[in-house]
Amino acid sequence: MKAAQAGSADAFADLVLSYRDRLLRFLLTRCATHADAEDALQDTLINAFRYIRSYDARWRFSTWLYRIAINNASRQQTPEVVELGELRDEEGDPLLQCIGVSETENLWVTARRLLNDEVYAAMWLRYAEDMSVNDISLALDRSVSWTKVNLMRGRRALDAGMNGSNKESKAYGQTG
Amino acid sequence: MDKLANRLKEDADRIEVTVSENLDYRIQASLQGVTPEGEARPRRERARPLGFWWASSLTGIAAAAAVIVIMNMQQSEEPPAVQPVDVVATVPAFDLKAETAALTNPLQQELVNLQADIKKAEEKVKKDIGL
Repeated sequence: MKAAQAGSADAFADLVLSYRDRLLRFLLTRCATHADAEDALQDTLINAFRYIRSYDARWRFSTWLYRIAINNASRQQTPEVVELGELRDEEGDPLLQCIGVSETENLWVTARRLLNDEVYAAMWLRYAEDMSVNDISLALDRSVSWTKVNLMRGRRALDAGMNGSNKESKAYGQTG
Repeated sequence: MDKLANRLKEDADRIEVTVSENLDYRIQASLQGVTPEGEARPRRERARPLGFWWASSLTGIAAAAAVIVIMNMQQSEEPPAVQPVDVVATVPAFDLKAETAALTNPLQQELVNLQADIKKAEEKVKKDIGL
């Protein structure tokens, strides 16, 4: 970390090596195309290196990286991109491309369909990354209580979605 | 961990993603062109010269001394001493001539005697002032 903060790009690259695949996997679920996800990852790492000196050691490094990644993913969702995303067919969906063949639908595909972006991100950080509620609230810049409530609602919505009911999703403001 | 959490974890693991060599090359190249911000941040201004501290200290001491002197001067201005006044001398003396009444008779008789004395005194006063 000290070498990276001193300006060593190689040290920073080593520092983030173990996070890159996880970040890309998360970004693939948020972006319209594989190329967008790769661009978002590149931007995330560049921004992280640029502002590495402002990193507060009280945060977990992964939490800090995810916060930057979430901001970058949100920035990529301009109206033009959303329109392109709506036009894409399922074969071009980067998330579906990365999921192995299975008899059941991947729950994260269901979650993306039912939850809004913030709740989806909270669910991902909690259940895919095993992040604590406090860290999730930091990464999303939300209160702990907001995080707890929306994790609970996200679970309910997924339960309802798995059982074929789509009632819960409307409670989130999911418009897509 | 409950069933839903397990399923979410498993399904996340089923999303197979790795950073390609091409992307890795792009990232490495991009990082080489970035310099962390904050390096050129100007250092804090140096401490003020010693003369400044001397001047401010002397000014403070002089101000404190001035305040002390002013306070002492105000305390030394004692109020003028009050001379004792002979109150008895200032008050004009009245020549009071009083006689005690000898209450020897019954009260009704005494009252009559007193009224007669008052009448005599009135006549005497009128006579004195020329009425």
